[in-house]
Amino acid sequence: MTNLLAILVGVCLGYLLLSNAVYVVLALIGAVENGVRRHESEAEDYDTLASSRFTIPVSVIVAAYNEASAIVSTVTSLLDLDYPEHEVIVVNDGSSDETLERLAEAFELEPFELFVRRVFHTEEVRAVYRSEKHPNLFVVDKQNGGKADALNAGLNVARYRYVCGVDADTVFDRDALLKGMRLVIQDPGRVIGVTSHLTIAEDPERTMSAPKGKRRIDRRPFVAYQHLDYLRAFLNNRLAWSRLGFMLCSVGAFQIWRRDVLEELGGYARGFTCEDIELTFRVHEHFLREGREYSVLCLPDNVGTTEGPDTVRKLVSQRERWQRVIDETVWHYRNMWFNPRFRSVGIVGVPFYLVTEVLAPAVEVLAVVSLGLSLVLGLFSPATFALMLAAIAFMNASLTACAILLDDVQSRTYRTRDLARLLLLAPLDLFLYRPIIFWARLKGSWRFLRGDKEWHKFERNVRSQAA
Amino acid sequence: MHELVFRVAVVVLAVSLPLWILLSVAVLGGRARYDRRQRIGPLKPNGRQVDRLLKRALGRPRTEWGEWRRISAINRLARMRHPATPHILYHALWDGDPKVAGAAIRCLGALGDLWAIELLVAALRGDRVSRSRVAAQLERLYPEPGFLFLPLLRDPDPAVRFWGATLIAPYEALGEIDLVNLTRDEDPNVRAAAVEALGHRPGEHAAEATVALLEDPAWFVRVHAARAAGQVAGVDAAPAIARMLGDERWWVRTAAKDALEGLGRAAVPALVPVLSSPDGFARNGAAEVLQDVGLVDHLALEEPQSPLLARIYEAGGPKLREAAEERTARERRIREEKAA
Repeated sequence: MTNLLAILVGVCLGYLLLSNAVYVVLALIGAVENGVRRHESEAEDYDTLASSRFTIPVSVIVAAYNEASAIVSTVTSLLDLDYPEHEVIVVNDGSSDETLERLAEAFELEPFELFVRRVFHTEEVRAVYRSEKHPNLFVVDKQNGGKADALNAGLNVARYRYVCGVDADTVFDRDALLKGMRLVIQDPGRVIGVTSHLTIAEDPERTMSAPKGKRRIDRRPFVAYQHLDYLRAFLNNRLAWSRLGFMLCSVGAFQIWRRDVLEELGGYARGFTCEDIELTFRVHEHFLREGREYSVLCLPDNVGTTEGPDTVRKLVSQRERWQRVIDETVWHYRNMWFNPRFRSVGIVGVPFYLVTEVLAPAVEVLAVVSLGLSLVLGLFSPATFALMLAAIAFMNASLTACAILLDDVQSRTYRTRDLARLLLLAPLDLFLYRPIIFWARLKGSWRFLRGDKEWHKFERNVRSQAA
Repeated sequence: MHELVFRVAVVVLAVSLPLWILLSVAVLGGRARYDRRQRIGPLKPNGRQVDRLLKRALGRPRTEWGEWRRISAINRLARMRHPATPHILYHALWDGDPKVAGAAIRCLGALGDLWAIELLVAALRGDRVSRSRVAAQLERLYPEPGFLFLPLLRDPDPAVRFWGATLIAPYEALGEIDLVNLTRDEDPNVRAAAVEALGHRPGEHAAEATVALLEDPAWFVRVHAARAAGQVAGVDAAPAIARMLGDERWWVRTAAKDALEGLGRAAVPALVPVLSSPDGFARNGAAEVLQDVGLVDHLALEEPQSPLLARIYEAGGPKLREAAEERTARERRIREEKAA
């Protein structure tokens, strides 16, 4: 029994050390990528890009389902984007709240018939509205069909060669699209997809109302930890994936795609819990299978702030969904696992997801049980156990501090005192935040095994402006 | 086991705790330094620093980091308008590295002197830099470089002719004859750029050339021709543009709708026959344009029994009718409220 326990503990600690070693390597590669992108951005002539007719136009698509509290701020920020030519298409996906009424009131919508391409089959479109105030705003009102269906309806209406899918609860910086399209404009033949770094807040409008450099991070540690989680995911990991050629998650809150690529792939898939990660996997699979040159990139620029859950229940609901969709996608694309035909995506990217995301909840359960038993059976002294926890906590804290450093060097968004608070919160992440994520991932994995594909949308926070 | 775990934990803690402290100091120290620099503004380099910048700007770095230092030096010297700037930018422009060439293009655009414009035009003729980047800078320098674009229209390279035609578009007094000739160019991209540029030039020759391209075999030429014909030939071109509402390509149909909407109610006589077209796209398109130019609302409010309105509803389908009825109901309410 003791020997078995010792083996289990060894396996779990080995997994932990190995995965953290991989995270350290990724953070170093992410730092290099961050430096390169920062230099590029500093040398970029944004004024010319923002006024040139050669800047490629973009259709921004917002899928909205019961987003009455957030939708007006989101659309306002999208209409205010500093970009030479863009249209905003809001798809009201059969909301049962006042989403459509709020939009109609704020933007003076008028119903118009619009004959569009029906490239993608979607649920029935009930009406199309145009704004009297903003000629580049269209609202499509349709029967509920899920986010992927709503995005496909937006794609049918989109007029431009590039589309940018965004979430309806996110408020964007004015230069978001310009920064996102910068690399596309440089190499439109090769760059087919771009995503960028987003931050999180309980009330995005309030956070974004301050200029960059003076923005605050939510006072509640619960939201601050989610902010740190985003920083680590984007700046330590996705930047490195981007540099290594296997950027496998173009986030739904800000994803630029070349429209013809989406047409070729049949649009967003409705058969998954969530559409973003699956689409990114599909793009890689398709292009690598056909041996075509392409790039899907992640940028370090902070382009906007999205709403983070403000209660544990909402957070668990969100994260269990994320875990489910990762499990669904990695399982669906199992033909890519360790398959050299898919180059770095098959050899490193998908296996990385498999080991660090799909299998992680199982290893975490094993670790909790085996370490707990070891402590009870006296395999470890309490002092060794405490030392081990401290080591893990500071290992995580170092990775978090690295992400904070990369973000601040890139964006200079937050006040110094808020950065200091984040740094101090970092070592406690293991004890205050990770257990919630552990539970959510476990729940998500269980639901995946049961074949549950429900969305379980969490209730929106109360916003200062919209309330 | 206990011993091993203890040792590993000590080693990990011994590495990670100082690392966390170090990174935290780097975050806060770096930020304080940045804030201080923001307060005092950019410093002027002294003589030795300028020499170092010159060396870097003309150097051939072997690392990516070195390349960025070179680009930074080029930018700083150009901003200072250092006497060696033309020499530095000339070399940077023809550098094999696209990043360095890109920096040179931006600096030349920012300077905007005649020599800088000539260098940019020369870069447009060459094939070593991103032509769209060069074009974006030249476009920004309007109206200075206009006459330098004329020779580009006769260049043997179709890519250069394309950019010449694209860039000369806002210069209404320049190059009309050349542009008309380019509408017969063998390269469809050049024809498209030429017809787009002619859209800015009202005149008989331009009108004839644009209308002729409505029948071009290349669909993207027809797109630009439709838009340009609406602007240049006006109502005279409306019947020809209206025929394009039934084009096989969605982009062409959309361009035709945009052009006809641009003509306003004057396009109505050309659209009415299309309402009975055997082609569904053409019928839908005509009804949509009539809706967008306000005719549907006008008829629904003033002459609800009009046979023309019935024909538009038939061509546009029930949703067009529902939308019109919702709009007109609202308009009637507003009128009644005003009257009351």
